[in-house]
This record gives sequence, structure tokens and C-alpha cells, in this order.
Amino acid sequence: MAFAPVFHSEWIKIRSLRSQLASLATIPAVTALFSALSSSDTGGDDFDPLFAVFFGASFGQIAAIAFGTAAVSAEFQGGALRLSLAAVPRRGRWFAAKATAIAVPVLAVGLVTGVVTLLVGKAVLGAKADALGWAEQVRGVVGCAVYLTLMALFAAGLTALLRSSAATLGILIPFLLIVSFVIGDMSNNIADLLPDRAGQVVLHATWDGAMGPWTGLAVTALWTAAALAAGALSVRRRDA
Amino acid sequence: MTSIDVRDLTKEYGTRRAVDHVTFGVRPGKVTGFLGPNGAGKSTTMRLVLGLDRPTSGTATVGGRPYAELTEPLRHVGALLDAQAAHGSRTGRDHLRALAASNRIPVARADAVLEETGLASVARHRVKAYSLGMRQRLGIAGALLGDPEVILLDEPSNGLDPEGIVWIRELLRRLAAEGRTVLVSSHLMNETASFADHLVVLGRGRLLADTPMRDFIDARVQPHVRIRTTDAGALKAALAGHGHDAVEHEEGHWTVTHARVDEIGALLSAAGVPILELASAEGTLEQAYLDLTATETEFTAPNQEA
Repeated sequence: MAFAPVFHSEWIKIRSLRSQLASLATIPAVTALFSALSSSDTGGDDFDPLFAVFFGASFGQIAAIAFGTAAVSAEFQGGALRLSLAAVPRRGRWFAAKATAIAVPVLAVGLVTGVVTLLVGKAVLGAKADALGWAEQVRGVVGCAVYLTLMALFAAGLTALLRSSAATLGILIPFLLIVSFVIGDMSNNIADLLPDRAGQVVLHATWDGAMGPWTGLAVTALWTAAALAAGALSVRRRDA
Repeated sequence: MTSIDVRDLTKEYGTRRAVDHVTFGVRPGKVTGFLGPNGAGKSTTMRLVLGLDRPTSGTATVGGRPYAELTEPLRHVGALLDAQAAHGSRTGRDHLRALAASNRIPVARADAVLEETGLASVARHRVKAYSLGMRQRLGIAGALLGDPEVILLDEPSNGLDPEGIVWIRELLRRLAAEGRTVLVSSHLMNETASFADHLVVLGRGRLLADTPMRDFIDARVQPHVRIRTTDAGALKAALAGHGHDAVEHEEGHWTVTHARVDEIGALLSAAGVPILELASAEGTLEQAYLDLTATETEFTAPNQEA
């Protein structure tokens, strides 16, 4: 069995659900909104113009995670997975197609999100954004898109492992919105290796940890790869 | 080439043995009824055939190959396992389009099977608005999508209205007449009797029977003659004179076993017994099935698992 027809099938599944399209549309809306709010409050010594612009990605990632989770969890309801795997018995290939069908739209929407957020954030920051060079702005846009994609895939892999959207979101959302913030403020080297904190270095103009923007994204990519591998193993090993 | 072959198949879930060393074959050109109470292992066997569950031991093949080795399997094997498999927020047509795309089946086939299953008018409605019967039809449409030679349907009559039940019966007969291999599970005897040529019966995971339906019934239920009369005394006397034994039933009719209706009719006519009703009663699948299960002590155990 070739990969392309399986990818096509998974893409139709995503495209034909309004809730999934709504999740995608929420990514730029939420990111830009929270970036506008954070850019309007620029007090403090550790002001970072790039992160002020892309701060909203912390919230936009929730929509990306919801998207990745829903795309996989739908397969674990009412015997949908049995139908999918009866059509595509090569389970590894099926899961790869599913992951690709999640990654492609999130990456595309992520790039749009990056551009929109940059424009909105710069407009709100005004003169304070003048320090941002072209290279940093491009890095922010691309990094934002890649980061959102990796987080959606991270959630997808976790959902395949846990077989439940409630379990996945119940772990990820409190972690991203609460635990990571708290641990991050206590700040030590271990916390810098968490998937979200490592990946968000790319959204900063300056950083003081051991990791730079691209090594940070690479750490997030490792987390994502591990989650996808665990999910793929679960799909392959367990009875459908 | 298109048979389903199950060889010494066993599946254990923890300590429970859902399928226990089962061997049978399903041949093309006829409808094979797959019978057994809930929990007998019918659905598990179907999942094993489709490569969805891993057998503990034994093999299941379609056309001599394990299902998982088929390329574009929907073109060879169509299955309905669960009517709830379609996502409620997707339209029936989109559900089938996604399924078709994975096996490079043209979209026109999706429209064709929607037409065939009577869903054309609701094809662009969301599945959550479908009745259970419509979801069953959508599941059957999915099974027919790739125009497969082998078809497995798990309880396809579930939730169908009377019209739908007649429809599925005719569909199954037609698919078999076209030379396809058709395996249909059910726990409804009368329903199965209306379409099956051959029977595979499971009980508690074990194979109880694998025979043509007619043989299955004839081996277990004696055909008999049913009579109603206004003169019970004359009836008994006339039958006794020819060595027949008539049994009276509460409803007021009599039955004679080990006899044929043409023989009894002539006999009673010659004796001048007034007859209100004279009929030949064939054994039913239900009677034969109950006879089989009565001899299977495990079936009648009080704590039978559902």
C-alpha cells in the first residue's frame, strides 16, 4: 500500500469535521489576541520585544494541542479505529499518515499565525519593536509555526498512547498553563528541557540558558518524536 | 480463492478464552450464518479474521492469505463490525469518501453504495442525525464500497425496520448468488433462517456445528403433521389402526411425528374423520438450535457470560 492514498484518506477525515477546522482557525485568533494583550504591558527589566510579540503562542498552542488530540481520539470512539485499520492494515503507515495529516495543516496555519501575530504585536508595541531585526522576525514566525506543529504532534502521540482525549488534555493543559509556569519561575536547568520551555526559546530575542533557539526546538522535537513513537508502538501492538 | 479459512483459532483475553480452537471454512456462492449467543465469540472471530486482534494461536486467512497482507483490502474484503464506527459530525458521504480514498476506490463508488443502501437522500446529512437503522445501512455501504468478493457482517439487522430486514435478506441472497463469500453473524434464529444456506455455530468460544442449514435442522427436529378435528375419538382410532401415535396439544390441535402429510391425509379421509386443518410442519432453525444448545451443558449453566 502506498502512503499517498492513506494520507489522502486521513486528510479527508480532518477536512470534513467542522470542529477540526474551528480548532485550526482558533490558533491564529488566540495567539494574536494574547500577543496584543502582552505587548500592551511592557514594563519590567526583562522585557524581550520578540517574546512580547509571540507571547500568545503559549495560548495558541492549546488550540493546536486540541486539534492534534481530537484527530487521534476520534479513532478511539465507537470502533472507528477498527474500520480505519481494516482499510489500512499496515498500522505504522496508517499512523504516519495520520500524523502527517495533522502536521501539514498546523504548519500552514502556524506560518499564518506567525505573520499575523508579528504584525499585531509590532503594531501594539510601536517604537519598542524597532529593535527587532529582520532575522529575528523571520525566526519568530518560522519558530512559532514549527513549535505549534511539534506541540500538536506531541499531543497526537500522547493520545494514541492513552487512547483518550480527556486523559491527554487533562495532562497537557494543566501542565502547560500551570506547572510549566511555576517550575519555570523556580528556574533551573532541568525545567529548561521541558517541551514547551525548550521550544519557546526560539520566540525570544535574547536567551541566557544553555540552549539556543534551534537547539531548543530540537529538544521539543525529541519529546514529540518520543510521544509519536510511543503512540505508534501502542497502535501497532494492541488489539484494535 | 475467496474463502475464509479459520484453523485452530484461539484467542484469550487474560484468563478468559473467547475463541477456543475453532476451525471452519466459509465458501463462496452461499450465505453462511454465524450463530451463537452473545459472548459466544462471533465478533472476536471476525476481528481475528480481519487482523484487528492478534490470535493467541491458530490462523485465519482470506483467500489463503492473512488479511493484514492484502494490498488495498477493501477491494477484496468488506466488513461491518460496528454501526457506531462513523464519526457523528461527519456526513455519511464524507465518511465513505475517506474510507474509499485509503484504498484508491473512486468517489463514484461511494455514491453508488449510498444509492444501493437507500441513503442517497441523507448522504450529505451528518451521521449524528441518522437513526440506528440508517447507521447500519451506512456500515453496510462501507462493506460494499470496494465491491469485495468476501463480505463479513456482524449483526447487520440490528436496528433495521421491517422493510430494512427484508432488504438485507434480499441483499445477502443476491451477493451470494453473484458468487461472493458472505458471512453474517446473528443471534436471531428466524432472521438467520430466512437467508442462510450454511451455518457455523459457536458456543462459549467453541465450534458446535458447521453444516448446511437444512441438514442442521433435519438432524435435530423431526418433521411432523399437524391436525385439527371435531372428532378426537375417531382421529385417535384411525391413526392407532395404522400404528401412528397422535399427541394432543393445549391449543386443541394434534401432532403426529414420523409421518408424512400425504399419507395421513389419505388415511383420515378413508376413515371419514372430519378435518378442520391438516398441515405438514417442518422443523425450524430455532427448534434445532435449542435442541443443540440443550445438549451443550455449558450453555445451560446459570452464570453464562454475556
